[in-house]
Amino acid sequence: MPPRLEENATPRPLPWRRLAWVTWRQHRIALGGVATLLGVLGLWLWIVGLQLHHAYAAAAACHPASSAACQNLIATFDSTNVFLKGGFILQPLPALIGAFVGAPVLARELETGTFRYTWTQGFGRWRWALAKLVLLGAGVAATAEAFSLLLSWYYQPYVATGNQSVFSSPSPLSPGLFDLRGVAFAAWTLAAFAIGALAGILIRRVVPAIVATLAAYTGLALLAGNVLRQHYLTPLVAKNSNIPGSAWVTSEWWTKGGKFAFGGRPPLSLLPQLCPSSFQTGTGGPGGVGILGSGSLSPTQCLVQHGYTQWADYQPASHFWPFQWIEGGWLLALSVLLITVTVWLVRRGAA
Amino acid sequence: MTIGQGSSDPAGAANVSPEGDSVPVSPIEFRLDSASGVPTYLQLVHQVEHALRLGYLKVGDQLPKVRDVVASLAINPNTVSKAYRELETKGLIVGRPGQGTFILATLGQVALPELTGLRRSLRGWLAKADTAGLDESGIVALVASELRDFYERRSGSGTSGGAADGESEGVA
Amino acid sequence: MNVIEANGLGKRYGSTRALRECSLAVPEGHVAALVGPNGAGKSTLLNLAVGLSAPSEGGLTVLGGRLPGSLGALDGIAFVAQDTPLYKNVSVGDMLHLTRNLNRRFDQVYAEARLGELGIPLNRKAGKLSGGQQAQLALTLALARRPRLLVLDEPVAMLDPIARHDFMATVLTAAADDGVSVLLSSHVLAELERVADYLILLSRGRVQVASEVDDLLACHRILTGPAAEAETYPERQVVHVRRGGAQAHLLVRATANDSVPRGWESNPVGLEELTLAYLRAPAAALPCPAPAEVLNRWR
Repeated sequence: MPPRLEENATPRPLPWRRLAWVTWRQHRIALGGVATLLGVLGLWLWIVGLQLHHAYAAAAACHPASSAACQNLIATFDSTNVFLKGGFILQPLPALIGAFVGAPVLARELETGTFRYTWTQGFGRWRWALAKLVLLGAGVAATAEAFSLLLSWYYQPYVATGNQSVFSSPSPLSPGLFDLRGVAFAAWTLAAFAIGALAGILIRRVVPAIVATLAAYTGLALLAGNVLRQHYLTPLVAKNSNIPGSAWVTSEWWTKGGKFAFGGRPPLSLLPQLCPSSFQTGTGGPGGVGILGSGSLSPTQCLVQHGYTQWADYQPASHFWPFQWIEGGWLLALSVLLITVTVWLVRRGAA
Repeated sequence: MTIGQGSSDPAGAANVSPEGDSVPVSPIEFRLDSASGVPTYLQLVHQVEHALRLGYLKVGDQLPKVRDVVASLAINPNTVSKAYRELETKGLIVGRPGQGTFILATLGQVALPELTGLRRSLRGWLAKADTAGLDESGIVALVASELRDFYERRSGSGTSGGAADGESEGVA
Repeated sequence: MNVIEANGLGKRYGSTRALRECSLAVPEGHVAALVGPNGAGKSTLLNLAVGLSAPSEGGLTVLGGRLPGSLGALDGIAFVAQDTPLYKNVSVGDMLHLTRNLNRRFDQVYAEARLGELGIPLNRKAGKLSGGQQAQLALTLALARRPRLLVLDEPVAMLDPIARHDFMATVLTAAADDGVSVLLSSHVLAELERVADYLILLSRGRVQVASEVDDLLACHRILTGPAAEAETYPERQVVHVRRGGAQAHLLVRATANDSVPRGWESNPVGLEELTLAYLRAPAAALPCPAPAEVLNRWR
């Protein structure tokens, strides 16, 4: 037998690159699953995206825009892939990728007991955890970013400048679309991964950790989309009639004679009062505004006629990239924090 | 206490293939009776002495290597070393570093007149024991326990016989 | 060098104390058996020694002063846990690859040769091996790291007799060939005498006995005699008493050279009997007396 190599009491740590093969071998199924999912999805998006771009090109090239034929083309474009239009259906992707790759890293070791093997090897357990999480996190984020480029290409017709007035397209900052493009998609995926890793070591069982990750991610995403994002930069204020179509309106209110009247929707009692002939109280439509009578004045027209002015807070399309960097930035910081805490917990002793 | 008296064999697999030893190193092979109550190392010592008496081992023969005994019986290496040391103390074997352990001398022969004398006194003692009412297994038990104590005292204190008062009757 | 040294070691899980005031010094070059009833703290002690958990109080060092879990300790200690955990979906060959990547030393030649001898194919998934094969694989991986100390947590509990024998033969051969020290926890008292030359007895979280087996057996005797006289024996020397109506056996601390009282018979004691007696008498934990101290207080 070859003699034992000289060993000393404080050897240097093993090189980090040793973990590359280990990480690949242990997570190749999860990574393969992600690649397959994104591959299939990407292929399909490419196919329907070509359809969309085609319809857009036809509609955009048509002049004059108000003619019946052009309106037809615009309508065709508007109705292509409607379920993808808002972007919401793709929102779960970062969560799924992050949870299914991130949670098992530590949870599976703890659940199956293999940590008793892995954490007594020479590499050392917190270095092992750090190397794995960094490698997987980077891999997952890079893959997500690549996919996000495809998504940006798909949604390009909607966000091209000047479109929103002609086509009924959402704003690039709208909640459904904002985090599918730019750096946000990759940042959210990374954050989900980091949440998954932390859940893995806290919960120690794979399936509960995945569930907890999805729940935490959902909460965070709702918080960001509904509460935080609109405050990244101070919103601009303008009368509703002056707002560009690509803007993301975050709140609306009405004034009369220079003074604040009400926010959001008009109070129930007001409209019938002002334009009684146009409205009939009763069951009404959803929102109880009342059914338009034969006078066919829209609520907005009615209010404007009576001297009300509508105002809105909005974020212009030019804020898109600053918002992307801000959101990407704090998500990255959060991910780094969560991974640091996870590695610290590993080091402190999880057994 | 150090382990590993036998020489290390890099391809040690050669002697412990699943089908059995390819080329046995030694004329004898040890066995172990875990239920006998006799300490393991003593069993090994006795087996060597027994093999010497019966002629399986002659002067110059090699004993099994420590690691081979360990591999086949699954016993502690220090136990084997202890047995070999005991035999070495008795002058029966010698260890040659790098080569193995070899038989140095056979068991001391007791001279014929002495042997005859011992036999006669034993016959007399047996008659006494029989008169006293001891049956066969009683005699065997008595002899076995006295033998054990005798050798333990001798190896423990280094002098012959401990101070056992009021018990053993002389065999003469 | 002491492979394991503990000083007032204690470990608490919540409100239960799994170990308390444990002090040990196991020298190298031994096969040390860690014995005790379930819940005595054997796994806890082993987990502390390999760095999987940290002590609540006291100190523990391994391999001559290294901290468990430090790089120096991880490098020199190989651990095979209970139920021999392996990645079930990873092939045997890949397990070798994994272990090689995660350690400083790995004897690939030895590992492959050993697995070949055992008839374990490199391309089979670890989860598809039999229990005995999995244990042998885990042991091969551990030994291929060329550790100085091999720690085994009830390694043979799930194995059939042949697998058990082969496993222990491998462990002991490594000790013979390479001077690896071994610390193993075991329930199988019958095999102790054959396998161990150092005994650590844990009882209710305390170290009851920690000594070389030879020394232990040399300083204990079984005294058999009249039951009526059993009480008068100095209590400090008696470990355990078994009595019938007229006859009693006392396991005492004494040597073969100590005088035996009139009417009593002194016999040596085997390791299994001694271990059982200590386990039945958890309060008896005094070290063996020096040889000069003799049973002269007997009336």
